[in-house]
Amino acid sequence: MSRRHFKFVLLALTFILIFSLGSAVLAQDATEMRLVWWGSQSRHDRTIAVVEMYEAENPGLDIVYEFANFNDYWTLMNTQAAGGELACVMQQDYAYLSEWARRGLLAPLDPFIEQGLLDTSTIDDTYLEGGRVDGQLYGMNLGSNSQSIILDLDAFEQAGMDLPDPQWTWDDFEQVATELHDKLGIYAYGSPDLGDDQIWTAMMVSLGVNPFNDAGTDFGYTDDQPIIDHFNRLLRLQEAGVIQSYEEIQAAASTGPENSPIVTAEAAMQYQWSNQVVAIFSAAGENRHFKLWPMPRPEGARSANYLKPSMFFSIPEACEMKEEAAKFISFFVNDLEANEILFAERGVPVSSGVREHLQPMLDEVGAETFDFLERVAADASPIFPPNPPGYNDIRNNVWIPLFKEPVLYEQIPVEEGMAIFRSEAQAILAGNE
Amino acid sequence: MSEPIATLPVSKRVDEAASEAASQPKRRSRGFKQNNAVGYLFISPWLIGFLLFSFIPIAISLYLAFTNYDLLSGGEWTGLRNFERMFTQDIRYGRSMIATFKYVLLVVPLRLMFALAVAMLLNTKRRGVYWFRAAYYIPSIIGASVAVAVMWRQLFGPQGVINAIAQLLGFDPINWLGNPDTAIWTLVILAVWQFGSPMLIFLAGLRQIPSELYEAASIDGATSWQRFYRVTLPLLTPIIFFNLIMQIIANFRVFTQAFIVTAGGPLDTTLFYTLYLYRRAFNDFQMGYASAMAWVLLLIIGFFTALSFRLSRYWVFYETKEG
Repeated sequence: MSRRHFKFVLLALTFILIFSLGSAVLAQDATEMRLVWWGSQSRHDRTIAVVEMYEAENPGLDIVYEFANFNDYWTLMNTQAAGGELACVMQQDYAYLSEWARRGLLAPLDPFIEQGLLDTSTIDDTYLEGGRVDGQLYGMNLGSNSQSIILDLDAFEQAGMDLPDPQWTWDDFEQVATELHDKLGIYAYGSPDLGDDQIWTAMMVSLGVNPFNDAGTDFGYTDDQPIIDHFNRLLRLQEAGVIQSYEEIQAAASTGPENSPIVTAEAAMQYQWSNQVVAIFSAAGENRHFKLWPMPRPEGARSANYLKPSMFFSIPEACEMKEEAAKFISFFVNDLEANEILFAERGVPVSSGVREHLQPMLDEVGAETFDFLERVAADASPIFPPNPPGYNDIRNNVWIPLFKEPVLYEQIPVEEGMAIFRSEAQAILAGNE
Repeated sequence: MSEPIATLPVSKRVDEAASEAASQPKRRSRGFKQNNAVGYLFISPWLIGFLLFSFIPIAISLYLAFTNYDLLSGGEWTGLRNFERMFTQDIRYGRSMIATFKYVLLVVPLRLMFALAVAMLLNTKRRGVYWFRAAYYIPSIIGASVAVAVMWRQLFGPQGVINAIAQLLGFDPINWLGNPDTAIWTLVILAVWQFGSPMLIFLAGLRQIPSELYEAASIDGATSWQRFYRVTLPLLTPIIFFNLIMQIIANFRVFTQAFIVTAGGPLDTTLFYTLYLYRRAFNDFQMGYASAMAWVLLLIIGFFTALSFRLSRYWVFYETKEG
């Protein structure tokens, strides 16, 4: 290669570099706003339609969106946060909200409410409460939901049994389940397993204590007996064949809601968050009859149900057009037409105006979900504060592998598992000091 | 103390001599450099990619291994804290070590034996042998893919083919994936089934063994077992050794199969090292801890590779050396 050629190649490379940098700079249009969310295909379609609607009403604003499933979404968000490139409107989850807010990654929304950019006039304060961290609103609730037990009404009828008392206890649950199993010969309860960590936290709420202390440095309670009792009950039931054993649940775990035992009529009850029942109801078809029932509670405790924001919209601190972002969130939450498209897919809408508007249009599942939340709201327990940092670590690396699984596989006694859980979780929580 | 002064003139003279020697081929050396520059320019796409996406991240991960970096916050220097936690506090880390070692100890010998057996079957001049070679190699091309892992899940699932066959034969269906005793075996079988690439290498090795040796052995009255044990095996040891090293390295890094077929369960019996590392990094976002785990894995693989080389001198036979 001669010297001239060499220079030419160098020059060409330099030009390519400069042009690619230039176009990257030009792409930073001032009227471009990024929006990110996680969810299913149905949510993607609905959200994109609303984005297009908003763009049509606001010429000059270009909303660029990204979406993913829950796990990939959080990987993406954490990476973007590390690179300082967060979007202007991001979907947030109760599990992460406090951590993100306390690390200064999110902007408080209260100033936008005061400026009138974010309209909360039709939203009851109980719906906003879950989005507050240390007294400030960091997440706008996009819909509320609550835990439920789906009851197969046909199974109850076939067994000739009345529906349980809505204020049923776990003792009642055991009795009902055993009777169902005895009369029908099927599992009274299938999957997902009842050793879920969110059943533990709900149980604490119904006992009037918070799962964690306010600083997030330790548990908020000292008496583990209710959880020990709960797991002993699960062991009794799975041994008697009344509920699916954990081993069977594990083998079937990833086959999706369409194959869940209540859909295939292998079981008569199923635990589910109320915003996730649509897939189950529709998979079961029209000639099956399901009803949402409140969670069982420990003996003598208050309701084990609380209204949880299913997800939030938050504005990252890194966003340079926070006012625009706030206006979009306001539209998303309050606009009647937009919510006809969104159609409570993210949970029952928080704006009373939207709820009233949607009520007459609801299908059977939608009506059941709205009705369930209304029934539950009547005596719901207050929601506990957002989980402390490290909660996911506790859930993924302590609750499931060191406590729930060894206990339900009958490898260690419940008491021993509970002791391990407490000490290991405390070690993680101590890191928040 | 006085010695350095005494030697000074000597060393100076040496320096001068050296600089004189260097000054002579100066022109040639410059030409060399220019040629190198052009060369580097040509490999620059790869070089830049390697530096940006491999070397720099690897170097950074070494640094991160000593921090508590979690993506959201900068990460403070924590010294050996991550390693201390790994070996003294993390119960799951111990479980993942057990699962990984169990897997490697099962898969590596089984896969090599299987590959050698099939290679010997295919080392004949029967009709259609080329077709069989291709057919047996296919599982390894597609083996590590997600699709096969999904298929495996279906095969061993509660209503899968394996259980259907078991029931036809009058056995009770077994919950392969949900039972802590059987789950790892589904992955071992999957891995053994992917014997293709060691098989091809064995096949090449077998073809190189001179047929005169077998003829001579036959004339001496050696049985087929003796021919295998006395002729084939010793001459094949360099190939076996190569396959052994490759398989040890590959199987310590097993990921996809466990990620999809068993998701690390039940009871962490298939929570392989890389899977746990991935979970710590991308589910818990403990990048510092995960980086530390990655470097320990490198040391483990390095140790076993070195150990294999060390032990090889006792059993690997190279024709060129003495025989």
